[in-house]
Amino acid sequence: MTADAVFPVVLSLRVATLALALIGPIGVALAFVQARARYRLRRLVDALILLPLVLPPSVLGFFLIVTFGRRGLLGGLLERAFGIRLVFTPAAAVIASAVVALPIVVKTVQPAIESVSADLEAVARTLGLSPSAVVLRVTLPAAWRGVLAGLVLGFARALGEFGATLMFAGNVPGRTNTMPLEIFTAYQTGDDARAGLYVGILTVLSLVIVLAANSASPRMLAR
Amino acid sequence: MRSLVPSLLFAALFVATVACKTPGVAPPPELSVAAATSLREVMPELVRAYVKAHPDRRVAVTYGASGDLKKQVEAGAPIDAVLFAGAKPVDDLISEGRVDSASRHVIASNELVLVGQPRDGGASPLTFASLTSIPAAEKLAIGDPRTVPAGEYARDYLTSLGEWTALQPRLVFGGNVAAVLVYARRDEAVAAVVYRTELRGVTDLVELDVARGANAPHPKVVAGSVHGASEQSTAFLQFVTSAEGEKVLASFGFGPP
Repeated sequence: MTADAVFPVVLSLRVATLALALIGPIGVALAFVQARARYRLRRLVDALILLPLVLPPSVLGFFLIVTFGRRGLLGGLLERAFGIRLVFTPAAAVIASAVVALPIVVKTVQPAIESVSADLEAVARTLGLSPSAVVLRVTLPAAWRGVLAGLVLGFARALGEFGATLMFAGNVPGRTNTMPLEIFTAYQTGDDARAGLYVGILTVLSLVIVLAANSASPRMLAR
Repeated sequence: MRSLVPSLLFAALFVATVACKTPGVAPPPELSVAAATSLREVMPELVRAYVKAHPDRRVAVTYGASGDLKKQVEAGAPIDAVLFAGAKPVDDLISEGRVDSASRHVIASNELVLVGQPRDGGASPLTFASLTSIPAAEKLAIGDPRTVPAGEYARDYLTSLGEWTALQPRLVFGGNVAAVLVYARRDEAVAAVVYRTELRGVTDLVELDVARGANAPHPKVVAGSVHGASEQSTAFLQFVTSAEGEKVLASFGFGPP
């Protein structure tokens, strides 16, 4: 494979990894809050977390543009204060991928945390562990399979992001052309061999990832 | 099993009703036209004028980058006529036997221009010749040369100016010419290369430069009938190339063929 053909593969893996690094901790924390805390707006937060899963990617792309675009709510501020411009950059692809990966992470991790007995945590507290130590040393270790499955599936979803990326990060060859974007352009230009190459890579990668998530958390996925 | 019988009867009735709906005198089927994105403003007017002259006709237009539409024709989409922003996609379809060569017509011409936000004072305005002076963090928007004729014209012209290679890191590709224009309107790109007709009705952008010189591209709008299309397709293209059609095209800023 030539360097030009390898680039989308490396970029996709890099974007998905960074997206997971960005959204993984947030997702696990949100899953924990949703599983354990009981508060007034819990249902609304639950719905908001799920939203990127059901909204068309074009809607997410639109939201991202009006938020982070140069004329957007935060975009102008970011540029004036820090000289940061996101549109048409790989960082924009990371943000788009992170947004779509969030619901999958939360919705896979949350039931795993819910299935950890509250008694276990109560006992840990009576033995003198601080609340944060209970989470890190009791709850998360007990739910590790679900947490791992959530992160792995989140990575897979981030890897496959297309629509919001196209709108927010653009299709800039050598900068933001991830594998899904490359498949689209290659198909449009009649280069079916090139499209097929990335279709094959993404299919095999995703299959391996789902199998991995499956073996991490057999009870949750293999029904 | 028994409960299946009523639903099957209903389905049969439904099919029969639909089948009977074709009356004795069938109206001519809808003409399906695939037109370049750069024609999205003028096509509705052309269709309106055509239907006014032929009240029994109906025309449905689908828009897109000429390269994308060409791909759809190749994939067998039910399209009767194509109006593309360049000769190449039409000629490709002719050589593949999908468009009849006798139906090929150049229907209008256009110009390639550089557009951008109006900026006051200081630096001299951007021109095609000074594009490499764009700061590294800024973007120049052009159509994707692989599917958008405006992008192909831009690539060829910038190559002839010796700027293509140097500009690579600053380029951002739009999927059609309207997307390219929007990149400049949203200020995400400092300048964009589009057709002059794109500026019609646009007040927030100014024309910075026009492609000129021996190597300047001469964008053409080229039409053709898809092989096996009805006589209607020919009639529509005849109308577009008629004096009346040319008048409509001219009123939207297109040059004579």
